[in-house]
Amino acid sequence: MLYGRAWPAETVVLRVANWGGAEEVKSEQAIADEFARRHPGVEVRVESIPASNYKEKVLSAIAAGSPPDVFLLDSVIMPTFINRGLLLDLMPFARAKGIDLSIYFPNVLKIGMRDSALYAFPKDFNPIAMYYNRRMFDEAGLPYPQRGWTWEDYLGLAKQLTKDVDGDGRTDQFGTAFSTYLFYWQPFVWMNNGDILSPDGSKATGYLNSPATEEAVQFLIDLRVKHQVAPHAQYAAAESGGITRLFFTGRIGMVVSGHWLLTTIQEYMRRGELEVGVAPLPTPTGGKHVTVMYEAGWCVPKGTPHPELAMELAAFLGGKWAGMQRIESLIAIPAIVEVAQKQAELDPFGLEQVFLDEVPYCRQPWGTVVEQFRRVEELVKDAVDLVLYRGWDLHAMFTDAARKIDQEFAEARETPVVAAKPGSERGFVLRFLFIVGLVSLSAGLANLVLARHRERRVTAEGYAFLLPSFAHLLVFVLAPLLFSLYLSVHRWDVIMPTKPFVGLDNYRSIFTDRLFLNALKNTALYTLQVPVAMTISLAVAMMMNQRIKGVNLLRTLYFLPSVSSFVAIAMVWQWLYEPQFGLINYLLRLLGLGTWSGLSSPNTALVSLMVMTIWMQIGYQMVIFLAGLQGIPDFLYEAAIIDGANAWQRFRRVTLPLLKPTTFFILVTAIIGSFQVFTSVWVMTQGGPARATDVVVYHIYQNAWEYLRMGRASAMAWVLFSIILVITLIQFRLIGRRVEYS
Amino acid sequence: MKATRAQRAAKVLGRVLIYAALLGLALSMLVPFIWMVMTSFMNELEVSQYPPKLWPSRFLWSNYREALTLLPFGRFFLNSIIMSVGAVVLQLLVCSMAAFAFARLHFRGRDRLFGLYIATMMIPVIVTIIPAFLIVDAFGWVNTYQGLILYFASSVWGIFLLRQFFLTLPRDLEDAARIDGASTFHIYWRIALPLSKPALATLGIFSFMAVWRDFLWSLIVTTQMDMRPVEVGIAFFHNMHVTKWPYQMAAAVCVMLPIVGIFFVAQRYFVRGITLTGLKG
Repeated sequence: MLYGRAWPAETVVLRVANWGGAEEVKSEQAIADEFARRHPGVEVRVESIPASNYKEKVLSAIAAGSPPDVFLLDSVIMPTFINRGLLLDLMPFARAKGIDLSIYFPNVLKIGMRDSALYAFPKDFNPIAMYYNRRMFDEAGLPYPQRGWTWEDYLGLAKQLTKDVDGDGRTDQFGTAFSTYLFYWQPFVWMNNGDILSPDGSKATGYLNSPATEEAVQFLIDLRVKHQVAPHAQYAAAESGGITRLFFTGRIGMVVSGHWLLTTIQEYMRRGELEVGVAPLPTPTGGKHVTVMYEAGWCVPKGTPHPELAMELAAFLGGKWAGMQRIESLIAIPAIVEVAQKQAELDPFGLEQVFLDEVPYCRQPWGTVVEQFRRVEELVKDAVDLVLYRGWDLHAMFTDAARKIDQEFAEARETPVVAAKPGSERGFVLRFLFIVGLVSLSAGLANLVLARHRERRVTAEGYAFLLPSFAHLLVFVLAPLLFSLYLSVHRWDVIMPTKPFVGLDNYRSIFTDRLFLNALKNTALYTLQVPVAMTISLAVAMMMNQRIKGVNLLRTLYFLPSVSSFVAIAMVWQWLYEPQFGLINYLLRLLGLGTWSGLSSPNTALVSLMVMTIWMQIGYQMVIFLAGLQGIPDFLYEAAIIDGANAWQRFRRVTLPLLKPTTFFILVTAIIGSFQVFTSVWVMTQGGPARATDVVVYHIYQNAWEYLRMGRASAMAWVLFSIILVITLIQFRLIGRRVEYS
Repeated sequence: MKATRAQRAAKVLGRVLIYAALLGLALSMLVPFIWMVMTSFMNELEVSQYPPKLWPSRFLWSNYREALTLLPFGRFFLNSIIMSVGAVVLQLLVCSMAAFAFARLHFRGRDRLFGLYIATMMIPVIVTIIPAFLIVDAFGWVNTYQGLILYFASSVWGIFLLRQFFLTLPRDLEDAARIDGASTFHIYWRIALPLSKPALATLGIFSFMAVWRDFLWSLIVTTQMDMRPVEVGIAFFHNMHVTKWPYQMAAAVCVMLPIVGIFFVAQRYFVRGITLTGLKG
């Protein structure tokens, strides 16, 4: 019987990595399943990754030597992969298979091409355009923007849409908005015949700080500062992602944004809750019409064990059939002309067509050809923020930024790009595990040998009790720490296995980095919240320690911030801090005490974060203080009462001394945590405005994941470590030695 | 008589003011939670209102159904429960053993070793998480429960917390047990742990919370959707430029309630663990 049986071929598993929201997870898996159906013996696993963390996830997989077989890359990160020779050239495959590349929009396809090589089958893209609120225009009796409208038209409309609706003397409806993120306003520079970089993308001086570029940026800055038709210091929300929300609720008449906004808008329009139009960006008189697009495409890494199948899958995912399946869930324009036209036909409001008409004017952003363009964006945004918030001169700021950009480009050119297959870092990192394990074992044995006879038993017992936690420490902390120390004297971009030795260059560059020193200063100031939080928490814990009705419920209420979604906390505190509508300013005006700028001013943003942190810490610290208070024996209080001590004396002589171990614990951990603050900055302020809330760990995060400078990030981490270590040693010297009670 | 009455009135007034302040501060803690719950019942445009609305025009229960079925949240919850319970059990054992050693055993090199432990808290996780992932990947633990759980098997924070508490235990009890011939493990298991319920409850709550709400490690160490915990699932509602706020908040409320419930119940462990009135007598 066995002789006549055909053995099934071994199943090939292909892994696809893509970002997406909840809806896209299902549609992509369905498309992948169709590919598997057409290719018996092939299984396709879609590894969906939340969009905001896609970069970290993919880079980690590459560092581990296990990249997916096909992955979606957006245009901003693609040049890094292309320049390092990590992606397969798909053109020979496309030609051999007779794949018709003319089905794609040519300028979209071009983003993944270098000369005659093709590194991505395009998936979709997002042009930038102007959205406007039709109801606001109708109420003001204004004509809608049309193709060919000028910057003067734009400013005129914005002025007429800017109003103080409730008559309280403060503007609460604005004509437009200006976000300082480069990816929004880049087209204005191009339309004015300026640019950020030279045509070959090699330098910024003479381009960023040129009159044409500066004129365009000045026009946009004036919307906020001079004409006040765009929210400026009045709206913290505008600086922390809230422009869209203000637009949706009729407080901003026109916003520059990408196609990604359209899906949400169409949903609102279908429900009759919103009336929005889309227009091309306005063109300066004497300029030319240009906009920008951001693209994503399917790439195949060179290391894939199944190159032919992987390229076939990438072509399929980027092909027409797959494109048609995505129409319902896509938030971008399909890269295939026919699919995009189909998508436009299905749009009952005709907005999709406006974007489609813009495609011929779409220019690819610099991020698609310049590596580490994220650095350029940061430097340019910093310059604009300093002009907006500190009133510094635009030309001086742009000249300085251009010089820095050129310097970084020069450094990048000096770095040899070693084209090599991505290797596995596993074995490399395991060496560090072996080293620290060996050192620890030697130290432990040495201590046992050197211990006096009576001491030996207790030493062995101590080590036995510590063994589980120490094993954990070795694997998850000490070996990684040693690896990061190694990285701090090397250069590593996470992608390539090569790590050239650079000595103390990473440390040297840190101490000449004004931004890092600024971050250190901010972090130190931020830590001043620790004693305030502790004082309040102890007071609350003392009161929560009494037998009163409802104390269990009260404790739970205080604990809520520790378990609430940080996003919810962030939203509420942003509202509290709003200069115009926020609760704090409402109360201040009620009392005739002026206005608090909250998160929207460099002078008050850090303090605002500190206040929020104190509020969040109370519940967490209260719980720990409560545990400490519960450990104080009753009889000590009884004895004190018998001796005639009043409440304050009991607090000073019984509570505080016996609470010292707990207090010390909270102090040390709160300071360590404060120096490592990250989440609230990342969510609330992104280090702004004008770097006023930039903190060290946020700096480290940017260097590690956005600039791909793991060596420098590691050096920064060790500098921070040294500072925290000194401060903690001081605490142990001053307080720690006197905590044992017997 | 008058002085007594005045003193009593001042005392009552002071107490009332204190309770009013306490209650006000407690209610402020409630506001984000209320905003979360109310947002979870709103449609998306309502969430964008400025100033924010605190009351939905209609209570859309469908947001919960949609949020919890768009992605396999049942599976996510199971993963989070397995991960969190496993981690809490391990942490209570591992951290209490280490803390006991640091607080009650006078062995050679103890303080320097404790200093090393504390020092490891001072390096940001951002620069150690990738090397840790590479090691775990080499072990073959990606997309496994051991990869998710063992990362949280110990915590220096927890060791430090318990050590501080163990430092306050009366030495008399320990000495008496030693005289009776008790072993070190017996002292740890029968004396130190039972007397430390408040601290253990605290560690239990915080470690459960930290693991239940972990995002970055869980994201890094899993690629398959069926191994994801809830916090990673919620992140799928937050796209690059579009966030489905009602769904995100509905899922976040579901994720949050177990922790609140556990905290409410666990409070009874903060009842005094030590009643030593008779000791001095």
